[in-house]
Amino acid sequence: MNTFVTETVSILTNAAMLFVVAAGLTLVFGALRLINMAHGSIFMVGALAVASLASGLTGGWGFAVALLAAVGLCAALGAGIEVSILRRLHDREPLAQLLATFALVLVIADLAQRVWGTSDRTVATPVAGRFTVGGAVVPEYDLVVVGIAALVALGLWLLLTRTATGWRVRAAVEDPETLAVGGTNLPLLRTGVFALGAGLAGLAGAAIAPLESVGPGLDTQIIVAAFIVTVVGGLGSVAGAALGAVVIATVEGLGTLWVPSYASSAGYLVMILVLAVRPWGLFGTPDR
Amino acid sequence: MTVLEEKIPPATERTTPARPVRRIIPLIALAAVLALLAAAPYLVTVTTILSLEQVAAFAVFAVAANLLIGQAGLVSFGQGVFFGLGAYTVTLGWEHAGLSFWEGFALAPVLGAAAAALIGLVALRARTLYFALITLAFSQLFYQLVEQNTGFTGGANGVFAPVVPAWMLSPVDGYLTLLAIAVAALAVLRWLYKSNFGLLLRASRENRARVQALGTNVYRLYLLAFTVSGAFCSLAGAMFVVYNQGSNAELFDWTTSGQAVLMSVIGGMYTFAGPVVGAFVYQFGHDWLVRFVSDWQLVLGGVLLLVVLLRPDGLAGALRLSSLRNRTRGRR
Amino acid sequence: MTTPLLTIRGLTRDFGGFRAVDGVDLDVAPGAIHSVIGPNGAGKSTLFSLITGERRPSAGSVHFAGHDLTGRAPHAVTRAGLAKAFQTTSIFPRLTVRESVCAALLARNRQSRLLRSRTGPAVRTEAETICASLGLADHIDLPGSVLSHGDQRALEVALALATAPRLLLLDEPTAGMSPFETRRVVDQITGLAKERGLTVLFSEHDLDTVFAISDEVTVMHQGRVLAHGPAAEVRADDEVMAVYLGSEPTP
Repeated sequence: MNTFVTETVSILTNAAMLFVVAAGLTLVFGALRLINMAHGSIFMVGALAVASLASGLTGGWGFAVALLAAVGLCAALGAGIEVSILRRLHDREPLAQLLATFALVLVIADLAQRVWGTSDRTVATPVAGRFTVGGAVVPEYDLVVVGIAALVALGLWLLLTRTATGWRVRAAVEDPETLAVGGTNLPLLRTGVFALGAGLAGLAGAAIAPLESVGPGLDTQIIVAAFIVTVVGGLGSVAGAALGAVVIATVEGLGTLWVPSYASSAGYLVMILVLAVRPWGLFGTPDR
Repeated sequence: MTVLEEKIPPATERTTPARPVRRIIPLIALAAVLALLAAAPYLVTVTTILSLEQVAAFAVFAVAANLLIGQAGLVSFGQGVFFGLGAYTVTLGWEHAGLSFWEGFALAPVLGAAAAALIGLVALRARTLYFALITLAFSQLFYQLVEQNTGFTGGANGVFAPVVPAWMLSPVDGYLTLLAIAVAALAVLRWLYKSNFGLLLRASRENRARVQALGTNVYRLYLLAFTVSGAFCSLAGAMFVVYNQGSNAELFDWTTSGQAVLMSVIGGMYTFAGPVVGAFVYQFGHDWLVRFVSDWQLVLGGVLLLVVLLRPDGLAGALRLSSLRNRTRGRR
Repeated sequence: MTTPLLTIRGLTRDFGGFRAVDGVDLDVAPGAIHSVIGPNGAGKSTLFSLITGERRPSAGSVHFAGHDLTGRAPHAVTRAGLAKAFQTTSIFPRLTVRESVCAALLARNRQSRLLRSRTGPAVRTEAETICASLGLADHIDLPGSVLSHGDQRALEVALALATAPRLLLLDEPTAGMSPFETRRVVDQITGLAKERGLTVLFSEHDLDTVFAISDEVTVMHQGRVLAHGPAAEVRADDEVMAVYLGSEPTP
């Protein structure tokens, strides 16, 4: 019984984190039709920023401040990238943007090493409490992580379905002409969405910092996980990202339990299986 | 009409006198480069020779990957799978099946082609960006499998074994052997680029739907390209063992696949020679730069950004364009 | 009348609740120049895409020279001998005119013949002949993207011709052209049809062009066939003229 609870909580926490990372990636794809390979790099910057801030800002509220600062930093970084580089490539073939963000992966990796060094860092858990459910001990911070993901999901749902801005974001790909004629500032909209996506990457990185050691290599590791989740769910679909996160976290969680040495391969197998059957993902739409 | 005719002379008149010259100059240049490369052991240090060994393997890798990236327009982040497979065929063949180096070397492209045909069957169902991501997933899947199966593959440590024949262990002999293999492999690839197959791949890159409508099953065409590319990437991986004296799991990582993409794009993905230039620039740029700074990736990323932003046809494309401009200027 | 080359029965296509093509019957006689006319939105382009397999019909059948082509994939339709020049120009921007036509000539071959080094002299000669017959000889080494609009349209027709079709579908071949360019394309089409014994099915909204070159005319309106017959008869049909003049005043 208590293994069941422990496993469920760990899967949920994992799914929550995966969702927040993937949501940013999929949102950007939905509105800009570009795959940001540097999404994991921005995630790493968020985690590293919290790691250096959290040493000064301790306790729950201190951590919250550090977290918000990291999100702001990442959003600003995203806006800068979009304005200075990606905007220039918007009319080119999608592969040019893919390659540009691949270049950014390399650039950010080295810059991050310059700023934060090469050694791994750890962040003290800001909420140290634990409680017992069904005989299993559950860290309170896990609930914080799940709560953050729930807030992000709710916020994105409200933004995309209940506001005029959300409608514009969804129409930015389908019908940019109508939007432009209607007076929407499309370049600003795209910058905004990219900054939001980067902010979500930073948020995920900041939130995960107390759970894992933070250092170089986190970027390429997380981007692959985010790709799997988004691709399984369907690029461009936030609901798909949520489903994908739960599916992948469950498969990996159960994999760790039953076939530990192949757990890390399980996610890739799921992705390959899904794409073999539905090449555009579970919630995605076919290219043409 | 008459004005137009004066401005642009008929195409035949324009190209006929230039044609023999246009054919001979590249041949002379090619012969000179090959002679220089063959004479390299007498001209440069052992360190440079070792770098050239890597360039030989990476040039084949990049050109083979570019058959997909530049010719077919399929950006694969999964060619590292076949590079790694080629290297492991040689080392594991020796360790588990008692195969000699050359037996493993001959087996590598066959296994590479077989694996590519199977993977391509699934991956090619996806288009453009999805294709890039699914090939990346295959790369990581193989990386994980190789890293986890410690008993069979040596796990993260890889396999380092005296598989390379003793006479090839001297850098000069190893290098000259790899150079000969690379020249032969590149000659075959060059022929493929120039074949009808290459032309249809380029046409599919430009306009897939049109080629489909003209009567070609593009999926099957791409599957053939993916298989051929896999075979040559695998051959390149087997070549790499001569330099590396072994194989390690990193070869499967998507960043290895990314290196082939980098070399192709920086060198110029729309030309045959581009990825070869890219392999040289990549290796020697790295060797030269790390003497001064530690931020090799930063420079690499910066160069890639500049190429994507300013020169989508890469260094080779830039060279070709400027020579074209000089030629027209000379005629005026 | 001889057996039709192309026989269409009850062809229908729905888009959601909208019926773009509604039970169209059409017979095209071998060797004829047959035009489909109608105002914008009459369903001409959709009809053509149903014939070429770019879209699947919701109902009905397409038979061509004894083959059932209903719902077959585009490449299968092309192999059967039915080629289409696209309405929106669909060429290979970075390939030269020669390369483009060679690629089109090769595309109809089975893949086993592809691994032959370079393009054989026979293919290159054929490409040059096709380019010459469409007035592209002077531009044969230029990339498709730098050609003028008229030349791009000509290249488009050249690509379709390269598949050695028995029936050539031309979807508004003169769209966006000057009267001078229109004249040139019309002359080339009629010339080619005679020279190669081609059957041509084309859609057009310029009535002068239609009646100048067509043997048979089918008039479409709101997805249905409104009238059908020899060009002279259709021209004299008051109802047809009413539809036309009502929706699209002639200049």
